[in-house]
Amino acid sequence: MSDALLVVSGVSIAFGGVQALHDVSFEVRRGEIFSLIGPNGAGKTTMFNVISGVLRPATGDVRFLGRSIVGRAPYAIARDGIARTYQIVRPFGRLSVIDNVAVGALVHARTIERARRDAREIVNFVGLGVHAEKPAASLTLTQRKRLEVARALSLQPKLILLDEVMAGLTPAEMDGMAEFVTHLSERGIAAVAGIEHVMRLVMRISHRIVVLDAGECIAEGDPKTIAADPKVIEAYLGAPIGPV
Amino acid sequence: MKRAGQVIAVVAIALLIVAPLRLNGYLINLLYTTVLSVALAYGWNIIAGYAGYFSFGQIAFFGLGSYVTALIVVDLHWYWMFAALAGGIAACALAVPLGYVMLRLRGPFFAMGMFGMAQMVRVLVTAIPGTGAGAGLYLPPGSGITDVYYWTLAIALGSIALTIWIDRSAFGLRLQALREDEQVAGTLGVDVTRAKISAFTLSALIPGLLGGGYALFLTFIEPDSAFSSRLDLQAIVMTVLGGLGTVWGPLVGGVFMTQVAEVLWARFPQAYLMIFGGLLVALLIALPRGIVPAISARFGRRRA
Repeated sequence: MSDALLVVSGVSIAFGGVQALHDVSFEVRRGEIFSLIGPNGAGKTTMFNVISGVLRPATGDVRFLGRSIVGRAPYAIARDGIARTYQIVRPFGRLSVIDNVAVGALVHARTIERARRDAREIVNFVGLGVHAEKPAASLTLTQRKRLEVARALSLQPKLILLDEVMAGLTPAEMDGMAEFVTHLSERGIAAVAGIEHVMRLVMRISHRIVVLDAGECIAEGDPKTIAADPKVIEAYLGAPIGPV
Repeated sequence: MKRAGQVIAVVAIALLIVAPLRLNGYLINLLYTTVLSVALAYGWNIIAGYAGYFSFGQIAFFGLGSYVTALIVVDLHWYWMFAALAGGIAACALAVPLGYVMLRLRGPFFAMGMFGMAQMVRVLVTAIPGTGAGAGLYLPPGSGITDVYYWTLAIALGSIALTIWIDRSAFGLRLQALREDEQVAGTLGVDVTRAKISAFTLSALIPGLLGGGYALFLTFIEPDSAFSSRLDLQAIVMTVLGGLGTVWGPLVGGVFMTQVAEVLWARFPQAYLMIFGGLLVALLIALPRGIVPAISARFGRRRA
C-alpha cells in the first residue's frame, strides 16, 4: 500500500436509464490537492455523494485508510474523517453560525460547550467571527460558502470534498479559496475539489487531476499531462488550454 | 431577568401544588385539562418542533397508555400510578420499532402515515380481550381527581424540564440540525436515525404516561375518548400558536388557548367556536412563527 488515502475503484451508478458514473477509478494521497473536473452533468456531485455515503454505488469499491466504506452510513464516514461541502450551499438556516459549525465539532468535543468553543475558533479562522451569533439564513452567498468550509473543517477531517468551490465567487475570492485549499494541503488535509470552469486556477493549485465526462473518467494525471491530453481538449474545451 | 424568571417559576409551581386544596370541582377539572393539554403539547413539540417531524398520530401513545393502565388496574389490581407507569413504558416499547419504520417517511407522508398508524393502534389495542372493544371499559372507583391532577402536573413539569435540557444539549442541537437539513446533518457526523428515534420515543413517553391518569379521570374509557383526535389536534395547535421548537411555546400557547376558550365559552356559548376559530386564524397570520418567537424578536434574543 502506498500513501493512498482514498481509493476509488470501478465505481458505477445509474439513475433510471442514465449512467451517472461508469467504472470510475482514482486515488487520492495524503495532503494532496486533487481536482475532479468536468462539465456540468459529468458526475462530479454524484461521485461526492458516493464517497460521503449519501449514495451507494451499484458496483465498485471506495476505500478510505485501507478500509471499504461502501455501505457505511454518512455519519460514520464523516466521523472517519471525510468532510464535504455542498455545491448549492445548505446552511442550517435557523441555527446560528456558531451552532452550524458546532454540530460537526460535536464529533470530537465531549460537551456542547467545548463544541461551541471549537466552533468559534473555526468561525474566526474562516473570517465569519463578526457573524457568529447570527442565524445562518442571514449570511450572503460568499459567507455561506465560507460557512460550508467551516462546517467541513469542524470534523477535523483528513479529506475534504469540495463540491464546486469556485462557483459563484469573484476572481479575487477564487484566489482566496485557492490559497485556502493550498493551506489545508500544507497542514496535511487532502482536498478533492470538484470544479467546472476556472482551468487556470485548477492547473495552478492541483497536484493531480481527474477529468470526468458523461460519467466516465477520460484522463488522469498531473496538470501538464491533462492540459496536453487531446481527449480532454476535445471533450472539455474544443481548443488547447492556455499556458499555466 | 433570569432571577425574575426563576421567582415566577417557583411561585407558579407552588400555586399549582396548593391549587387543589382551594379550588372547587369545576375549577380543578379545568386546571387538570389545561395541565394535561400543556403536557401533551410538550410531548408533541419534541418530535415536531425540535426534530421537524409533524406527527399527526402521537395520540396513539396516549390511547395505548390509557388502555394499558385500565387493563392492569382492572385485571391485576395494581395501584394505578404503577399501571400508568407501565403505560408509559408500553408507549416507548411501541415507539422504537414504529419510529424505525415511520421516520423513513418525510413531510406530509410522515404526517399522514402517523395519522393512519394511530388508527391502526386504536383498532389493535381495542381488540385486546377485556377492553370491551367499542363499548368501553369501566375502571374501579377509588382515586380522586386530586391524585390524577398531581400525577399530570408532575409529568407536565418533567416534560418542561426535559425540553429545557434538550434545548441546551448536544442532543437538541443534533435534532435541530436534522430538522433544518437531514442529509447535511448526516454528513456532519450526526447519526440521524438514532437521534430521530430517540426524539420520537421521548415524544411517545409523555402521552404514554399521561394516558393512565386520563383513564382514571374519566373512570370509563372507550376508543373515542382514549384516542381523542380533539386532544391530539389541540396539542398541535397550542404548540404552533405558542412557538414550534421553543422551550416556552407549548406553555404559552396552551395557557392562552385554554383560557381564551374558557372565557369565550362562558360569554358567547353559541358563537364561541366561531369566534375562537377566527381568532386562531388571525393570530397565526399575524404571528406565523408563534407567540414566543414574536416576543423574543421584539425584546432581543435571550440566548447569545
